[in-house]
Amino acid sequence: MIAAAFSACGGSEQSASNNPGTLVWARYGDADSLDPHRTTTTLSWQIFDQLYDTLLAFNDKGEVVPNLAKSWDVSKDGREITFALNSGVTCHDGTPFDANDVKYTADRAIDNKNPSVTKGAWGSIELVQVVNPQTVKFRFKQPFGAFVSFMADPFASILCDSNKDLGTQFGVTKAIGTGPWKLVSWTKGSEIVLEKNPNYKKFGRPVENPGAPYVDRLVVRQIPEAQARLAGLQTGEVQLIVNPPLDDLDAVRNDSNLKLHVAENTGQNFFFEFTTSRPPFNDIRARQAVAYAVDVDRAIQTAFGPDLVQREKCPISRGVAGNDQAFCDRFTYKPDPNKAKQLLAQMGYSASKPMEVILMTSTGDNREKMVQVFQSQLAQVGINAKLETMDIGTLNARVKQENEKKSGVGTFDMMDWAWFDPDILHQLWHSPGAYSGYQTPKLDALLAKTRTTIDPTQRKQAVNQVMEYLLKNAVHIPLYTPGSLWVYATRNSVQGFKIGTFNRPVFNDVKLQ
Amino acid sequence: MTSYLIKRVLSGLFTIWLTTIAVTLLIHLVPGDPVQIMYAQSQSTTPEQLEQVRHNLGLDRPIYEQYFIYMSRVLRGDFGTTIRGNQPILSLLLVRLPNTLLLAISSLFITMLVGVTAGFIAAYKRGTWLDAGLMTGAIVGISIPSFWLGLVLIYVFSVQLGWFPVSGTNLRNLFLPALTLGLANAASVSRLTRSSMIEVLSQDYIRTARAKGLAEKFVLMRHALRNSLINVVNMLGLQFTYMMGGAIVVENVFAWNGVGRFAIQSILQRDYPTIQGFILIFAIVVVGVSIVLDVLYAWIDPRINYDS
Amino acid sequence: MILELRNSAVKQFRNPSFTIGLIILAILLFVAIFAPIVAPFDPLQMNVGEPLQPPNARFWFGTDDFGRDLFSRIVHGSRLTLMIGLVAVGISMVSGVLIGLTAGYVGGWIETILMRSMDVLFSFTETLIALAAVAVLGASLTNAIIAVGLSSIPFYARITYGAVLVEKNKEYFKAAQALGARSPRLVFRHLLPNILSPIIVVATVGVSIAILSASALSFLGLGAQPPSPEWGAILSAGRDYFKRAPWVTTFPGIAIALTVLGFNLLGDGLREILDPKQRS
Repeated sequence: MIAAAFSACGGSEQSASNNPGTLVWARYGDADSLDPHRTTTTLSWQIFDQLYDTLLAFNDKGEVVPNLAKSWDVSKDGREITFALNSGVTCHDGTPFDANDVKYTADRAIDNKNPSVTKGAWGSIELVQVVNPQTVKFRFKQPFGAFVSFMADPFASILCDSNKDLGTQFGVTKAIGTGPWKLVSWTKGSEIVLEKNPNYKKFGRPVENPGAPYVDRLVVRQIPEAQARLAGLQTGEVQLIVNPPLDDLDAVRNDSNLKLHVAENTGQNFFFEFTTSRPPFNDIRARQAVAYAVDVDRAIQTAFGPDLVQREKCPISRGVAGNDQAFCDRFTYKPDPNKAKQLLAQMGYSASKPMEVILMTSTGDNREKMVQVFQSQLAQVGINAKLETMDIGTLNARVKQENEKKSGVGTFDMMDWAWFDPDILHQLWHSPGAYSGYQTPKLDALLAKTRTTIDPTQRKQAVNQVMEYLLKNAVHIPLYTPGSLWVYATRNSVQGFKIGTFNRPVFNDVKLQ
Repeated sequence: MTSYLIKRVLSGLFTIWLTTIAVTLLIHLVPGDPVQIMYAQSQSTTPEQLEQVRHNLGLDRPIYEQYFIYMSRVLRGDFGTTIRGNQPILSLLLVRLPNTLLLAISSLFITMLVGVTAGFIAAYKRGTWLDAGLMTGAIVGISIPSFWLGLVLIYVFSVQLGWFPVSGTNLRNLFLPALTLGLANAASVSRLTRSSMIEVLSQDYIRTARAKGLAEKFVLMRHALRNSLINVVNMLGLQFTYMMGGAIVVENVFAWNGVGRFAIQSILQRDYPTIQGFILIFAIVVVGVSIVLDVLYAWIDPRINYDS
Repeated sequence: MILELRNSAVKQFRNPSFTIGLIILAILLFVAIFAPIVAPFDPLQMNVGEPLQPPNARFWFGTDDFGRDLFSRIVHGSRLTLMIGLVAVGISMVSGVLIGLTAGYVGGWIETILMRSMDVLFSFTETLIALAAVAVLGASLTNAIIAVGLSSIPFYARITYGAVLVEKNKEYFKAAQALGARSPRLVFRHLLPNILSPIIVVATVGVSIAILSASALSFLGLGAQPPSPEWGAILSAGRDYFKRAPWVTTFPGIAIALTVLGFNLLGDGLREILDPKQRS
């Protein structure tokens, strides 16, 4: 431990920054854990993506393609899915990868005593069976349409079963996977050092390099201040950063040594949701008034300028199967202040008696600017929205709290979620709901259908029905996408850097000049 | 001497023991349900999982049992795990502790060097413009917030002049945070040094020495300085404690990877087990170092009757 | 003590520390009381089109990244600063004095328990006590004030205790005891007035320490929350664009330093006036 501390005090950083075979990536925070079953933060799963591989993968269009599994087969009743695995894959410690590793990972995730924090995303698994070393079968209590796409997500990273022998050190100081990068060291609060996996074979990942990464080492460093990250990039101390200061992006755009990358198709969705358990937002007219009052395109222009984020009309965002701007546009509330005033008048509000509410959101990424603009737009129709911003953890807790309160000032919030599958709608809106929010039996029934339908075309129909319900009832008002950790900047010496669908940076193709 | 050492160590152990009690009680002082609050950020935690956590932390047992459970784990080196990411708390603290100690000791060095020198000169040149100037500087110094001083130094030396890298936790980056923390306390040390020097200089034995006609320099060097230095060593324990406390803020300004910055993150995340571990480790370090310095002081100061 | 004050009334105006401190604090008090008049803008009003303006004729201290006038925010923040200083010290002083008085006067095992506890608390830094209090109570300005107040209690307790022990041995006290004066009278009419002067000196400097501690907590995100115009919080928010708009961090820093300086000078001056033996 002392050795680790002293290496933080001088050694590795000096040698890392100027070595042509090392890429240094600076982020604002550290991973929580290297165990995919213990945390869901973006800072963590972007590392899972480097250490581990998944059975399936997302291509550039967001479609599910084979990866560690070369094919999969769904039974007629939808309750069994069998995966045929690629052969010749080895884990970082040299042990062979086979169906036992898949069974180990799945069993560990759904274990009753110490389950994964994303256990729910695995569905109602009845049994995981190793048919032979290259074949593994999952049997479910009920068909689960989202399972196949979950197999492409970092939370479903396949762990080698040799991690069992690491005991409590797994995810803390050691981690064994089949991914393009091996773990060398993790100095908590400082940096994670990865080195290339020379035995790596590419199957379904959206990169061109068929084998091991070109760069020798990938160092993921923590620099909490945005200005400091930018300064590090400008001096060359680091070669890639995420979240440069959003208000100073011209410093990157105008610098001929630097390049700006803005992720698209991230699956991130920023939306309004309301406390519907009490007035005024238990009344659909109040919710619709808010929707008519705001001019989202204008707000985006003011808060972000051009080219950073896009207007999103669907409750599931670009990149996710089922996102259909044209379909959702039919139910979108176009800016109409007069309509808003009419609805408010019907409810008994007027210029002398405006509607008093609280608008909450989380801090960072210019969200405060967005709600500021919304506040002034709402004021124009006679809605006085008091603004409250807080960190995302506090916001989540507060939304839940407000939903459970029976009295008090009406509240609504600008929330964000990111997921790769329409199943997010089930997670958010099916009772009891992520925050004990709006629920109705009709919505529950529609959502249940999206979960149990396997056929893609029928599933899309079911998802459309849910989206229509949510939009018509003004319960989930989509605003923009992306909006969280989606802006990167590199030095020109970095060639081949790519951000995969759903905001997954990959480094297999990176070459340094 | 030995009996003083024993008394001092026992007193320190008593303090740490009281700390463990306070730390165990901490989670119960939280208004509301602490487990709910801790896990508020993760949407997918079921009530069953919360119950499991409550059981693991021993919160469903009576208080004295909780204390016993916590202490038996702590003595085996198990401080529990973080709520986010399940990392062992003790190792997270121990990885960062050397960085904080490095910062605290370097700052202490700067504080003593600058503060004692300034106080000494001011006392020696008492009543002159130099004295007034130094003491004005000192009172301005104790009024400046350390976090502001840190930001100004970053701006001048890292951003404008480019002499130091903007971030990182290594020897190259140590200078600015140590200077910030060091200067903030140097001002108060200089005031203390000055008044204790003045007191020493007005002592009878000094006047006697001067009356005897001994050279001024000789008088100063042998008597005044040595006695003042004893006062300085006396201060070291307290100053080290202030450095550790001040490091918590300065680490945050400079993104220095020490236990202070880690503690602030844990407080913002409401990770109570981690906060408990931090308080305990912090107290052990501070009390431990104080004991060592107190014993050192007792050893070198012939005036103390340490057997009383 | 009354006699002392009357005699020193002349002294205080020859004492530069006291005078300058008094002037600074008088200005602060004026600004705080008349904040809405002194400030040209509403501190929370966001002028959406004018973020990060440097100081100019319209915005004397410039604007922050939400277009809010920095001068108005700092002026309104002075109210918070005063409140922080006075309330926190109030908590520390009242609790600490009570504990010290009780321990010193009553004696026995109460004395041992109380002062031992104070010793233990004293061996941690005030910073740690304040942090633990905020960790338990949650991050807000009120809790930060309580936390800072709690953290200094051992300090006041110790001073009071020491002073009580000294006074207990003095002639006038023993005489009053012998004459059969009852406890409350002894404590409040005889003891308290004579220990007040060292406590007041300490309290004045204590206000400056409380202000520094509370603004540090706000700076770390553990005290005043946005959009509160508390000086430490303003400074913290300005870190993100320190390079482009240094005025957002400079002016609150100066405000804090000046205020703290005022209380320190006042404290130094009071010490010289009330306790001539300590004069440098």
